[in-house]
Amino acid sequence: MKWRLNAVVGSALVGVILLLALAALVWTPYDPLALSLRAKLQAPSAAHWLGTDEFGRDVASRIMAGASTSALVASVTVFFAVVGGSLVGVVAGFVRGWTDRVLMAFNDTLLAFPGMLLALALMVVVGANRWGIVLALGLAYAPSVARVVRGTVLGLREKEYVEASRMIGNPELTTMARHVLPNCVAPVAVLATSMFGWVLLAESALSFLGLGVPPPAPTWGNMLASGRPYMQTAVWLGLAPGLCIALTLLGINLLGDALRDRLDPRMAL
Amino acid sequence: MTRLLPAFLPGLLAAWLVALASPAVAQTLRVRLNADIRSTDPGVNRDANTDAVVLHVVEGLVALKEDTTVGPLLASKVDVSADGKTYTFSLRDGVKFHNGALLTADDVLWSWKRFMDPATNWRCLSEFDGRGLVKLLAVESPNPKTVVFRIDSPSALFLATMARMDCGGSGIVHRSSLGTDGKWVAPVGTGPFKLGEWKRGQAIELLRFDDYAARSEPMSGYTGAKKAEVERVRFMIIPDSAAAKAALYSNAVDIITDAPSSDFAELKARTDIKLDASPSMGLNALLLQTRDPLLKDVRIRRALALSLDTEELAASVSEGLSKRNNSAVPTTSPFYGAVQANGFKRDLAEAKRLLAAAGYSGQPIKLIANKRYGSTFDSAVLVQSMAQAAGLKIEIEVLDWATQLDKYGKGDYQLMSFTYSARLDPALNFEMLMGPKDKQPRKVWDNPDAQARLAVALDSPDRALRQSIFDDLHKRMLDEVPAIVFYNGIELAATRRNVAGYKGWPTGQPRLWNVRLQ
Amino acid sequence: MLGYVLRRLLLTLPTLLLVALAVFTLMRLIPGDPVQLMLGDRADDAQVAEQRARMGLDAPLPLQFGRWLAAVAKGDLGQSITDQQPVLPLILERFRVSAVIVLVAVALATLLAVPAGLVAAWQQNRPVDLFIVLGATLLLSVPSFWLGLLLLLFFGLQLGWLPVVGYAPLSDGFAAGAAYLVLPIVTLTLIETGVLTRMARASAIEVQQLEYVTHARAKGVPEWRVLARHVLPNAFAPTLTLIGLVLGNLLGGIAVLETVFTLPGLGRLLVDAIYARDYPVVQGVLLFTATIYVLINLLVDLLYPLFDPRVSVQ
Repeated sequence: MKWRLNAVVGSALVGVILLLALAALVWTPYDPLALSLRAKLQAPSAAHWLGTDEFGRDVASRIMAGASTSALVASVTVFFAVVGGSLVGVVAGFVRGWTDRVLMAFNDTLLAFPGMLLALALMVVVGANRWGIVLALGLAYAPSVARVVRGTVLGLREKEYVEASRMIGNPELTTMARHVLPNCVAPVAVLATSMFGWVLLAESALSFLGLGVPPPAPTWGNMLASGRPYMQTAVWLGLAPGLCIALTLLGINLLGDALRDRLDPRMAL
Repeated sequence: MTRLLPAFLPGLLAAWLVALASPAVAQTLRVRLNADIRSTDPGVNRDANTDAVVLHVVEGLVALKEDTTVGPLLASKVDVSADGKTYTFSLRDGVKFHNGALLTADDVLWSWKRFMDPATNWRCLSEFDGRGLVKLLAVESPNPKTVVFRIDSPSALFLATMARMDCGGSGIVHRSSLGTDGKWVAPVGTGPFKLGEWKRGQAIELLRFDDYAARSEPMSGYTGAKKAEVERVRFMIIPDSAAAKAALYSNAVDIITDAPSSDFAELKARTDIKLDASPSMGLNALLLQTRDPLLKDVRIRRALALSLDTEELAASVSEGLSKRNNSAVPTTSPFYGAVQANGFKRDLAEAKRLLAAAGYSGQPIKLIANKRYGSTFDSAVLVQSMAQAAGLKIEIEVLDWATQLDKYGKGDYQLMSFTYSARLDPALNFEMLMGPKDKQPRKVWDNPDAQARLAVALDSPDRALRQSIFDDLHKRMLDEVPAIVFYNGIELAATRRNVAGYKGWPTGQPRLWNVRLQ
Repeated sequence: MLGYVLRRLLLTLPTLLLVALAVFTLMRLIPGDPVQLMLGDRADDAQVAEQRARMGLDAPLPLQFGRWLAAVAKGDLGQSITDQQPVLPLILERFRVSAVIVLVAVALATLLAVPAGLVAAWQQNRPVDLFIVLGATLLLSVPSFWLGLLLLLFFGLQLGWLPVVGYAPLSDGFAAGAAYLVLPIVTLTLIETGVLTRMARASAIEVQQLEYVTHARAKGVPEWRVLARHVLPNAFAPTLTLIGLVLGNLLGGIAVLETVFTLPGLGRLLVDAIYARDYPVVQGVLLFTATIYVLINLLVDLLYPLFDPRVSVQ
């Protein structure tokens, strides 16, 4: 069955990346921040598997360290967006009335801002650091989650077991928590996997525009951005992080597909 | 999609042919600008790019020479009275405006009246109305060929300020530059080029002014013999340097005047590109906040200075194009000598000793840099790494330029990697670093005694006296370490092989006269 | 119907007002001063204060907001701090550039994605499907500025087929103008095709399971007819929603492409204005974009029933 292939390839890719990310916390071939002004822009070799960058730092080590940072930033952002968005969506969809209207008005306001530009503006306010990015991108993506969750909740409200729960006198909160929320997991899970990818790409675009996770700490995004001027002379500087981003996203999307197939068998391949 | 293709194809082919053909308009010199200009009104709404373009179109009474001293431009000579309070400018004959009118003293009076009117919002008004350098008492013309300026007290920098690029060179324009409603339209100046079309966000075109009256002596700075050798100059706005580089290679652009040093090796290797590197007068420096609770201890500041190998830093950040300079006086200045060449030498043992004596116990110190001026960021990375060897824990904070400038203005930082634009006299360099922090929080060095000495240098024209003051100030700076100057920077200009006659100079501004396409 | 449209339009006003307030507040929260930026490192406090007064930047914030809002109501978005030009004409001019690229790219992407999605759904589980899914996923995983630069270096520099920098409006001459747009459009199309293909495929699969499709197949209707008349219209509907979302969000992504390809578009205008703290321009652009976004979504909501009769205009 197709979903097995998705799951296998997807998990393999994501697994490798996660492994690299975790490994980087304990060991990298060189210190990702160690400069060596004499060894600038060297091509891949036995000593430096992916070459060195414009400050003489080992690219392979930076890729590994970048995996940790990017994974961390993306995970926390997605978590923040999902939790925040879901809360808003569930409350709005379940309670309805004025609460719904007000919440959705604020939500749509945020949604009407071009996501990345909202992030840019917020980053300038908060300052370019990894938590700034988490806040900024989280705020930029939470509204989408809220909309999806609210839509799902609206559909679920009419279901019998929800009615039943209310009729036997359960407080709204209990009904929300025990019957509605768990059923939102499927669509949110799928959205979350896509979001992970968007965050990775957004972080690299922000670095390109000058405001990503501040260097010298490496992320794939800022490595890609700083490797641009050397596209023609030291192509490995851009190729390595670019490929990593592409492969990670591929893995995540495939996993997301597998997840959706699992949760929604109609889509099964 | 297949239905669209036949319609698309001829269009694509035609476009391709047109694109191939366009570089062949040989009489247009295409120069890269990294951002659009702000206006065409000299010295009013400006930035460095604006000055670069506008100074091809307007000229002032005096202008900077190649060695950054001041020489006459529209004036044939300048006489200074014995008491230093009266400047008499004799105007040259036969100078024409772009609209054909001859330059007379009346035009000079009109232009200066406009400059001194607060409604014009001239950048340098405060230098001439008593708040800054001097107070301009009167601008008069006893006859159509002479203009007399009277000021309230002598100043070594009166002419230099008139010639300043950010003042628009005090460019003289014809009154037809204004519309009937008194609003600025376009500069009708006397320069070798006249303003053509300004397509906002895309390009600004300058056209050759055929009736330009050139001076006789060889070209020097903004003065000397200037001849527009090409029919047209197009300043193309290309913000992204990677795209600009690609444009240069593909012959869509002829000159890049501000190529980053990181591209030096790549550009040098190409046979179709020529390079011109000229030292600039800007300063790349590390600013230290002497009022910071941690950094107010001079031992910590000295330790930081001694932990750095500024020679290696300068060589690395500038790709070997610049040599280190720890003094506030640029290497190209006539006042740069043996004293200024003396700087910091790396001494890790002494640095550690000083830190121990000061009781430094690993507290993190924040260093602000930005990515817009890449050299500030590169320097910051190296500072952090080198200082680590002495045990200093430095954290880099990358801000956007506007935020950094804000913090600079308020003095709200511990360490800041900064770049100062060129000032043309060492006294002005020191002045931008020194001042009372209570009134001017942006200044890095607050030492009333040194201030007093600087004031003397600003007023007195005595060269020997000024040199001794600059020497003294430099020694004090090395002792007190309010800032660590790294190097002066290089203007790296990359031109295509067929461009002849382009030369860079210490101000870093492009000059497209006397440049030919072969 | 007209009543519905008018009501929806009126309902957008509070949202737009909130957007205006949010934008204004956000910009003023950001440290950094447009006047100080303008005057550079030479600025002394007296000069800065004087300039701020001239520009009305020293008035209390609620007053500044009120003045701006009043002007907007009259259709005047103010003057750019950077070059004192009126904001609205500037926005419209830049919008023309971005809009052409975005609309053409999304249209092309849709033309590629919908058939691809249909084919993938039809051939579910087979090699063709796998290939299409892999291709689509790969396309949407590549950072746009990276892909853009690669294409620029290859087609512009290496092969010399297309110009590397520059821009000429199409109104000046279609052939000349089009050359500058080819690479950015191709880059954007490739990326969006990936996104849209996956969505088209997913909705096509969902629809395929529905009874009337199996019913049509059982009746012996030729496969292409089943796809074209039954599957396509229904699969298109969710894709349409996504197109609406995509178009709205594209402004952020296009800033990057406009920088790589040196195009004087709206995205770059906004990014430059944020860096220059050009408040009127940032406020104007964000308000403008929010309005467009809201209008696009309204349009999508109106078109939706055309494709999915289950959904009625409420």
